[in-house]
Amino acid sequence: MIKKITQLIILIILSTTQSFALIEVDITRGNLEPLPVAVSPLSSDKKTNDKLVKELKIENIGDKISEVVENNLKNSGLFNPLNKDAFLQKPDIAHLKPRFEDWSLIKAQALITGKVTLNNEKLRVEFRLWDVLAAKEMMALAFTTVPSNWRRIGHIITDKVYERLTGEKGYFDTRIIYVAEDGPKTKRIKKLAIMDQDGSNTKYLTLGNELVLTPRFNPTNQMVTYLSYFRNLPRVYLLDIETGVQEVVGDFPGMTFAPRFSPDGKKIIMSFAMDGNSDIYTMNLENRIVERITNHPSIDTSPSYSPDGKFICFNSDRSGYQQIYVMKKDGTNVKRISFGKGLYGTPVWSPRGDLIAFTKLHKGKFYIGVMRTDGSGERLLTENYYQEAPSWSPNGRVLIFYRETKTDSEGKGFSAKLWSIDLTGYNERMVKTESDASDPSWSSLLSN
Amino acid sequence: MLACLVLSACATKKVQNQMQGDVYTGKDTVEYLASGVPDRVFFATNESVLTTASRDTLRKQAEWLRKNSKVNVVLEGHADERGTREYNLALGERRANAAKDYLMTYGISANRISVISYGKERPVDSGSNPLAWSKNRRSVTVKAN
Amino acid sequence: MTKNILISSTLHLILIFITAVSLPFLAKKPIDLPPIISVELIQIAEKTNIPYAPKAKKIIEEAKKKEEKVTSEQAPPKKVKKEKPDAVPLPNQNLDKVKKIEEKKQNPEKIEDEIKQVSEFEKDELFDPDSIAALIDKSKEETAETTKKNSKVSQSQDKNVDTLSLTLSEEDALKAQIFGCWSIPLGLPYNENLLVRVKLELKPDGTVINSEILDHERMNKPGQGFYKVLAESALRAIKLCQPLRVPSKGYERWKDLQLNFDAREMLEG
Repeated sequence: MIKKITQLIILIILSTTQSFALIEVDITRGNLEPLPVAVSPLSSDKKTNDKLVKELKIENIGDKISEVVENNLKNSGLFNPLNKDAFLQKPDIAHLKPRFEDWSLIKAQALITGKVTLNNEKLRVEFRLWDVLAAKEMMALAFTTVPSNWRRIGHIITDKVYERLTGEKGYFDTRIIYVAEDGPKTKRIKKLAIMDQDGSNTKYLTLGNELVLTPRFNPTNQMVTYLSYFRNLPRVYLLDIETGVQEVVGDFPGMTFAPRFSPDGKKIIMSFAMDGNSDIYTMNLENRIVERITNHPSIDTSPSYSPDGKFICFNSDRSGYQQIYVMKKDGTNVKRISFGKGLYGTPVWSPRGDLIAFTKLHKGKFYIGVMRTDGSGERLLTENYYQEAPSWSPNGRVLIFYRETKTDSEGKGFSAKLWSIDLTGYNERMVKTESDASDPSWSSLLSN
Repeated sequence: MLACLVLSACATKKVQNQMQGDVYTGKDTVEYLASGVPDRVFFATNESVLTTASRDTLRKQAEWLRKNSKVNVVLEGHADERGTREYNLALGERRANAAKDYLMTYGISANRISVISYGKERPVDSGSNPLAWSKNRRSVTVKAN
Repeated sequence: MTKNILISSTLHLILIFITAVSLPFLAKKPIDLPPIISVELIQIAEKTNIPYAPKAKKIIEEAKKKEEKVTSEQAPPKKVKKEKPDAVPLPNQNLDKVKKIEEKKQNPEKIEDEIKQVSEFEKDELFDPDSIAALIDKSKEETAETTKKNSKVSQSQDKNVDTLSLTLSEEDALKAQIFGCWSIPLGLPYNENLLVRVKLELKPDGTVINSEILDHERMNKPGQGFYKVLAESALRAIKLCQPLRVPSKGYERWKDLQLNFDAREMLEG
């Protein structure tokens, strides 16, 4: 209050003009519509197009890259890419000198233009971001890469544009690892799959011979830790995505599960179940030393580190029911943080460090929500029949999770899909996958 | 209208007959290790406590195991679909171990019993209703050799 | 001197409170209501504000110092280009800064997938450092002048209530117009201070001659990236709304106008 008043006084004194005090008008409302953006197709000459038709089997590389950008912007929920039919200026000319009147006529507030060329078998893509109303260039960048990487260029452009227009880092040049599902509910076949954040470039990492669950990336996105039922021994595994080499994590005499990497990537934290009791352990990947973090006769599972590595949030039923707890990294100072009605599970610390996302079960409904790390400020973002396992986008803005449908009286109609939702609870949308999918985990940004 | 009422009454009754509290007491999904030896026991939601019926079943299994001393078993613990995946894995493990402990108190060596949890991954009934869930909250004794 | 500032600030505060209180009514009822002057308000103003006035002076001085610091920290404006859209240099001609960002291989396949960012040919900020510096100088002059003005203001307070504000209907028209033009950026953090103050210089027909962001030093602060985004959205709103719906009379009153864009209410609600 005092601060506010003093601010007001400063404001008054600084803003008085020569003869009169300045009239002030408070603008407290505006529209929350997504920002109208024109994504002009990137221009590419015929020679480039002809060459790339053979190599990539796509007709017009410039169009395709701009489609990637447009789709990303639209899915973010923060931008409204305008219909290309209304564009008056040709892509190549717009890239050199946009006629801002034309673009503001179709209500665009920002404009993206670009150009694609081929130099020595390398793709060179440049783009510019324009402020249409201020009639100014806001940003200009160029990239070179192998042609097969054209989609990534689209994602990187989106990241740059997103960052320039929202003030936050983007999350488009990222991948999602998940479990691809198939078959009847009673005998699901599950495989590890990896795809770009927008659902393209799906690749399968296991064949489906054994049950696999809960894959999670390491901080550099090269390794994945997950649970596999290989030879009917449910154990935490480590997989090098590039080489395909797999190994069991640790030598435990029972089931290990719920693995996650530490923020520095050097440890895996997980649950180990023995004689009906699950506790949390870590294994150092460098020296293979195993440490026990919790020691309690209840179920302790779903551990997740804070981004600074100093704390761990986890799920425990030591109070009698599933609740969320936070402790120091060495297992001391255990504090329960969830006190709302219902059961709480799958806590995940946000990359910004200020929030913990969770799944909540209350009165037969499942919710995805967030709370502060001390348990205050609980906000439920979405309600459904069944959904769980949120994973944060690297900028801490979006959560991805999976949702299962209710079956009918004959037990039919089951499906599992990935969904994402903005931290504000807006922009809930299904994430396209080739098959049914569950247990998504978002990578960090691949570039920069 | 009347038919509807009667039908629904029947349906409720049927469910009640197959459940006590929310523990499954029916026989639909039960298989037998030998004549009169049911292979599975059922649990209440979020519980791993053995009911009287479960203890009865496990005593029969113990007796059968004593007679067939060459047989080893795997206890498969399961949970219903109304829980988070990771917690359910732990819960399934806890249920299978509850059954294992009981078999051991009836003289079955721990060497002959191994335990595996499937959490909510392997339901027997794919329905989304309380009866289906009650069938899925179970520990199943399976011959390992 | 201190006393004058004190008196002046108190009186100004009363004005602000009156406006602030009348605003919510405005938002709901677009009818021309008589200005409400409540006794209660004046009491609040006196009780809460007078004791803090000396403190305020200190803060003002600090703020001034800070601004001076900002001016000195401002690098000499780079001669990148004046914002003439027709003079956009071709990227190829402008490859002075070559920056390589290589990243590690991430692909499941072992393909050569590095993407190099070869050039960052220009990064144009929306706000010319020159004009920011000018603004700072101006605000300093203005503070120097406040003392002179204060005596005047305090003597003719009643008159000022009439002359220094727009009528409710005038303000309402302007607000309604700008509400429609302002696209609030959606990615903003919802728990930060989201107030952007823009000072406008207007022509009699409502065309904007000049617009200045008042808290410009926040624009380049680390961790405040969203503020710049918000400020830009405010400037876009003003551009989009031109000419502003200003009253037909009393140009002198509103030729300088300050718009306070505050997104908090919208983003929280």
